[in-house]
Amino acid sequence: MKNYFIKTLLIAFVGLLSFSCNDDFLEKVPLDEISNSSFWNSENDLKVYNNSLYNLVRTDENVPIFMGHRDGFNSHRYGIWHMSGFSDNTAPRHSRHDRYQQVRAGKHFPPNGAAPYGYRGFNFLRAINVGMDNYDKAQISDEVRNKYVGEARLMRGWFYADKISKFGSAQWVDRELGTDDDEILNGSRDDRDLVMNNVLEDLNFATQHIPNDWGDGNAPGRINRWGALLIKSRVALFEGTWRKYHGLSGADQWLTEAANAALELMQDGPYSLYQSGDPTNAYNAIHRMTDLSGNPEVLYWRRYERGIFTNHVQSYHRAYNGGATKNMVEDYLCTDGKPITLSPLYKGDAVYKEIFENRDPRLRQTVLHPDDQAIYRYGNHDFDRYTYPRVQGMSGGLRVYTGYHIIKVYDVGAAHASYNSSTTPAITLRFAEALLNYAEAKAELGGGTISQEDLDISINLLRDRVGMPHLDANPEMDPRYANDGISAVLAEIRRERRVELFMEGFRYDDLRRWKQGKKLESKDYGMRWDEANRMAVDPDGQVTVQSGMVDGVEYLEIYKGTDYENPVFDESKHYLWPMPISVLSQNPNLKQNPGW
Amino acid sequence: MLLFVFSSVLQPLLAKSGFPEFQPKQFITVLEEMSERYEVVFSYETKLLRDVKVEFQFVKGERLQSALGRLLKLTGFQHKAIGKKYFVIFRNDKKGSKNARKLERKIKQIQRLENKGAVRLQRSTVGPQQQFKKITEVIVDLETKARISGTVTSAEEGIPLIGVSILVKGTGTGTVTDLDGKYSLDLEDENAILQFSYTGYSPVEVAVNGQTEINVALETNVTSLDEVVVVGYGSQKKVNLTGAVAAMDGERLESRPIPNVGEGLQGVIANLNVNIRNGDPASSIDFNIRGFESINGGSPLVLVDGVPMDLNKLNPNDIANISVLKDASAAAVYGARAAFGVILVETKRGREGKMRLTFGAEFAASKPIMFIDPVTDPYAYVTARDLATYRTNGTGFDQDYLDGTRRYSENPTPENAWGVFNGSLRFYGYNNYQDQIITDFAPQTKYDLSISGATDKSSYYVSIGVLDKDGYLKNKEKNENFKRYNALIKGDVKITEWLKLDSRALVTTEQSDKPHFYNWDVNINTTARVNPLNPITFPDLEYYLTPGDRADYEQYIGMHFQSVNFLPYLEQGGRDTWTRNDIILTQGATLNPLPGLNVRAEFSANYTYRDLQQVRSRVDVIENQDLNALVIGNGFSATDYINNQANNNQYYVLNTYADYTIDRDNTHYFKVMVGFNQEWGKNQFIRSRAFGLITPAVTDLNATTGSQETYGGKSDVSLRGAFYRVNYIFKERYLLEANGRYDGTSRFPTDDRFGFFPSFSAAWRISQEGFMESTNGWLDNLKLRASYGTLGNQLLGSNYYPAIPTLGSATSPYMFTAGARSPYVSAAGLVSPTLTWESVTSQNLGLDFSVLNNKLDVAFDIYSRETKDMLTGVSYPSILGTAGPDANAADLKTTGWELAATWRERINKDWSYGITLAFSDSRSQITKYDNPTGSLDEYYVGQYIGDRWGYVTQGIFQTEEEVNAAASQSNIGANWRPGDIRYADLDGDGEITVGDNTLDNHGDLAIIANEAPRYNFGINTDLRYKNLSLNVFFQGLLKRQYWPPNGNWVAFYPFNAGHVENYYITDTWSEDNPNAYFPAPHISTNTKQNVQPQSRYVQNGAYIRLKNLTLSYSLPMDKLGKIGVSDVSFYLTGANLWEFTNMRKPLDPEVRPTLTQEYYKQRSYAFGLRVSI
Repeated sequence: MKNYFIKTLLIAFVGLLSFSCNDDFLEKVPLDEISNSSFWNSENDLKVYNNSLYNLVRTDENVPIFMGHRDGFNSHRYGIWHMSGFSDNTAPRHSRHDRYQQVRAGKHFPPNGAAPYGYRGFNFLRAINVGMDNYDKAQISDEVRNKYVGEARLMRGWFYADKISKFGSAQWVDRELGTDDDEILNGSRDDRDLVMNNVLEDLNFATQHIPNDWGDGNAPGRINRWGALLIKSRVALFEGTWRKYHGLSGADQWLTEAANAALELMQDGPYSLYQSGDPTNAYNAIHRMTDLSGNPEVLYWRRYERGIFTNHVQSYHRAYNGGATKNMVEDYLCTDGKPITLSPLYKGDAVYKEIFENRDPRLRQTVLHPDDQAIYRYGNHDFDRYTYPRVQGMSGGLRVYTGYHIIKVYDVGAAHASYNSSTTPAITLRFAEALLNYAEAKAELGGGTISQEDLDISINLLRDRVGMPHLDANPEMDPRYANDGISAVLAEIRRERRVELFMEGFRYDDLRRWKQGKKLESKDYGMRWDEANRMAVDPDGQVTVQSGMVDGVEYLEIYKGTDYENPVFDESKHYLWPMPISVLSQNPNLKQNPGW
Repeated sequence: MLLFVFSSVLQPLLAKSGFPEFQPKQFITVLEEMSERYEVVFSYETKLLRDVKVEFQFVKGERLQSALGRLLKLTGFQHKAIGKKYFVIFRNDKKGSKNARKLERKIKQIQRLENKGAVRLQRSTVGPQQQFKKITEVIVDLETKARISGTVTSAEEGIPLIGVSILVKGTGTGTVTDLDGKYSLDLEDENAILQFSYTGYSPVEVAVNGQTEINVALETNVTSLDEVVVVGYGSQKKVNLTGAVAAMDGERLESRPIPNVGEGLQGVIANLNVNIRNGDPASSIDFNIRGFESINGGSPLVLVDGVPMDLNKLNPNDIANISVLKDASAAAVYGARAAFGVILVETKRGREGKMRLTFGAEFAASKPIMFIDPVTDPYAYVTARDLATYRTNGTGFDQDYLDGTRRYSENPTPENAWGVFNGSLRFYGYNNYQDQIITDFAPQTKYDLSISGATDKSSYYVSIGVLDKDGYLKNKEKNENFKRYNALIKGDVKITEWLKLDSRALVTTEQSDKPHFYNWDVNINTTARVNPLNPITFPDLEYYLTPGDRADYEQYIGMHFQSVNFLPYLEQGGRDTWTRNDIILTQGATLNPLPGLNVRAEFSANYTYRDLQQVRSRVDVIENQDLNALVIGNGFSATDYINNQANNNQYYVLNTYADYTIDRDNTHYFKVMVGFNQEWGKNQFIRSRAFGLITPAVTDLNATTGSQETYGGKSDVSLRGAFYRVNYIFKERYLLEANGRYDGTSRFPTDDRFGFFPSFSAAWRISQEGFMESTNGWLDNLKLRASYGTLGNQLLGSNYYPAIPTLGSATSPYMFTAGARSPYVSAAGLVSPTLTWESVTSQNLGLDFSVLNNKLDVAFDIYSRETKDMLTGVSYPSILGTAGPDANAADLKTTGWELAATWRERINKDWSYGITLAFSDSRSQITKYDNPTGSLDEYYVGQYIGDRWGYVTQGIFQTEEEVNAAASQSNIGANWRPGDIRYADLDGDGEITVGDNTLDNHGDLAIIANEAPRYNFGINTDLRYKNLSLNVFFQGLLKRQYWPPNGNWVAFYPFNAGHVENYYITDTWSEDNPNAYFPAPHISTNTKQNVQPQSRYVQNGAYIRLKNLTLSYSLPMDKLGKIGVSDVSFYLTGANLWEFTNMRKPLDPEVRPTLTQEYYKQRSYAFGLRVSI
């Protein structure tokens, strides 16, 4: 009886366990993450959300707007300094820079997946749009809210402007998409006008609502309204000149926006050119600083710090940039304000050191003068050991392919640092660009003319800093630019831009918007490599770079013997990048760009 | 004493209370009753006791001694106890004492046999009681006259078999063998046929034909039809299985130098595919049952004693048996997680008999299998590399290198190894990194100790295992090391007739210690492929730049150069260590309230703790070779930190189930099982990282000065299900089974949470049919099986909340200000609100047969498995901006077959052998996928899993003219020259392109390979001669195409890494070698134009590998008995000893897909010893 009782009890117990279905048991919610509904309340919520946008722009190859340096091994691949590899400014011959060489030589082709700086970064766009869908939820004043809305819209506008610049048109999306948004997922690209008008609206909103100063000490802090103005002027200048030279309408409106934005920054902003007081280093001083907090010229920069985020860009960059090209070096004016083609002061390139004589001081602050080794401690510990220039193939010291060592961004402290331990900052936005944007926009608006007054508040400030004579509103035409179809003053403004902004990622985009792609068909040369120079630099014949003849004179010919020896630029296709194949195969309605 | 009083008081009471009067009974009957009651055995001379009657009544609760005393008092016989179980009853006179001594000897013999394993008695289906009775009968028969006699022994061990039943065919007469295995029998017919049968052995029939002595050796029947197989929540006789189930004995895993269970299972069970990533003992091993599971992964459910567990944490020696449930019907009771099969593992338990102690020790040495064939002549290296770099970018080594290496190559003296060029130190010799870093043999030791035993009321099994395995590094002190400690403690107690309790504790501790992983370049696995001209340490030279300057450089001598990568980090760098403790505690209870009814409940708790520490301490290296300005830096270690992570996981499992069996005269067999399963768990981790070690000697978070980061995470999960199984068997011929499970999971939204998954199976034992009687002589079993069923698959891995969108939060290294990371909250991803179960429908058709006295045993299955509504991250156009949410959006169909065959034969008393074959194949095809454009970047309908698209190689351009005449390849690369690959212009448009990269327009792409492994096989043979046995095991694939990936540092394509192999020179194109396999030398670390996916380099990945070869020897039993040891055996064994494949070196057919970049596979040699008491 007792047994029977126990048995019954046990069976009942087991049965109870089996059928006690408690729904809570299967109801689980995430324990370590926030749900959308419990967020978006305070200003701080909006702020930390926008921080996620900054986190995404860290990856330059995906979101190439707030350009800085990539960390670790990728420092050699992506970042602001490497962008000149797409152009005729530098000659990054190292095989790891294959991608830059391909584009530079017009030998690229539709990639399967999206290429770096290309059709990427839509997670960033989505993050912005998710913010846009939710910022309104916060119970805060519109003024406060709009600071963050402005920040997000600035990024969206800038992001789209970059996509338009590379692909000509894009799908405009301003809300979070779902998987059922077929009309967009399988839709076609919106035309340039629509997208760029939206871009302008975004940028206008940003330049009206982002605070002048976030109170965070610009170290670097968040992007402020002045930075937004500079971005706007950059985007508008690109769009205005693109439209003008590629035969689209509306150029003037954009150029006006560009000039106005730049002017507002120039006139009302707290920024100015950094003055070291010494013309021989005034130009490159800020590029060799490690802390740019509160620098009057720097509107925005990217900070690096050991244990948080570091790079290896110095070390990699000096090994991979290949050196400045002959074409670049020759573009610097002589101290009389005239190009080398016209100035009697130019001593020619037969003697290496004489290239620097009577030239724009910025040349000597960009390319290493052999006598400046000690100043820059170029080559670090053994700066006094080797003679420069040194060309690839020689042993010891630092070598480049062109013979023109770049020292504008050479930081002795970081150049030989151990792997990924450098804190070299990146200057993302600086005041000098605003001056250049303004002058160019004004000159374009003026049909190739610009008032001396406008030159004096822009270009000539840059000239003053380095002790160069002022640019006159009616300069003599450099014969080399006579066939560019532009006025002499515009040619000089463009030259000024190339010189001032060397290594800051502009040249390739500038050539494209000016429709000067054919300039990329010229080969990249280095220093003069005639008998005398060869004997002076490389008496043992170690140099492995080949040479070629230019007008009967021998120069290092950087890509001779490589796959990129004969660059091409097909104007019917190369101004835009090809859409990735995988993107098209998923949505054929996006259509390949012409010519590809 | 009390009892005695009680009984003496009670007896008269009972007598008076209307109970029937005591009736005299046969003394023997009383003894028999007593024997049953107290589970003891009485031995006596039947003749002596036959006519004795007693008046005796059993008293409830009385002890044996007391009862026996009372009984013998009534008769005047004496008794003698031998152990606790055996009693001899004898008359106290001279003859009686003599007979008693004789009986005593026999009984002791039985005891010895029992202690040796007691297997013979245990295996019997008749209970031990009956067995004992037989023994008493044997003694009865001692004096019977016989016309025919003989001995029955076990063919395997030659020992006498006791209690073998011998029947005269066609009559009811017969006998059983005695304690010595002897029998004798009176026969009426001289031509009678004797049938010898014994449980666990194959029956034998012998015609007498006038013989007077017939000795028989019985063979064990390994594939016995009575074999019982563990199935979900229960067990079944193998013959009664209707689903696809394969079983394996744990013995298969003993005496092999395997570090884990996974390696032991490879190739053993047909279609249990074991994918061993590489030779790293700490790396995970994937199991797969019946081929490609689902495009988002999936794996079999592995249950060890009913609890989910990583099989590789288990000590192989603790495994009693393994069952693999392959189809839906077999796995149905596990519903939710069993979509891709179930692996059930039972650990050993104590066996009745004397305590048994087993000790095993094994010493193994492993040697990496490296197929690398490096160029060791530095000049040959430099010239080969030069050719490639010139072709790639028009530059090469300078003349000094060429001269220096040639000088050294011609005269390899220490002086010629070093030079100074323009102030830079140069090394012209050859560094054989492999020799310097990688040891010839890595040791592994294993120890096991187990103690087990059981009484009729309880059993216990306790085991301890230790595995200690070193890595391949030559530097003993800094070598990698992996240790595993296993402890298993099991016990069960029969509390009452109807209640049994069982407890289990399984503890696994794993420890790993490796050099810190600084960087991919700093890794044992890349050392073989770095530039061998990089100097390793600063040399000790007489002078450096100028004579007499040695003192200036003395401080550098012996320091490592940064360029050698691995060595300095190994010797000075930090360590990555982790400890993982896994504790599983189980308490179970089994009730038998009614005959045929079993109720079981078990609860398990699994606690996993893992402590990880990574120490990235600073390493001092010489970063350049410029003697004028040597720089000491930190290489890859400049940012130093300590990272600690602690994981704490809990998982609980509750299973309750009941089964009820009705067995009616072997005609109707009916069994119902219902049950309930509930599991829940919680995971959490904390991670902290602190930068800036004060000193590399103190590796604690406290001893740092830099910034600090902390992270954490938590998740939980639960599931609940009810299940049933109904079996019906009619006349042992027609078998029906229905299974099902109703399952719910916390991973899905409330409305889509539950699913019902039924399955059905049936079998027909044709061999049992009347019309098959004529085949009885050779056909032992013939069975046809069929099953159909559906299972569910819930989301996998760590995606616990797939339907709930959440915002991520973390800190970013994006700095707004100095010294601080920036906290951020990021957008929630997309989720599908209607996620539900992926359903897996499987159909199975099987045929089992055994013939020739079970010598040949074959099981063949064909199956199909449709994985429907696969939860897949659908790929959307990139404008969506995020990964598509998992949705039930794709279907997949897998078809395949498997064959398992065993041939086992005993040639004679000394020789026997067996061959087991496992052979299987499967193919999977996408049957539904949302890819409207047919993009080749996604799955598409009709695609076979494993298909690889690529170009078709037309050959290598031989001339400039050929290049110019061929289709343009400018979409792949630039500057095509003779020596480059020529791709075929399949679509004839004059351009090599991928078209739209879609199915409709794939340009010049074609399917160049299917990389799915096909025709897996395992061949296991064993051969025994007396006490020697040899086991040889081959495993392989008959078909696999493989395109070696072209990623940098992956060794295959020439000049894809820093080293040079001999085939780079001999097998690359040049004008003199136009038929070379590879194109002209070209550095392919960046320009991949010649190494695009293409038909030319598709490898034939078929292989056969000698996985195991074991030779073992057991000391002869008769000598051991005397020293109280029951078994001593030694074995020599080797693993991965040999292989054959057509794959080009340096590819290892088993290491995929990252090739030799990872831990090398190894050849292992071991010596082991096992002692049992």
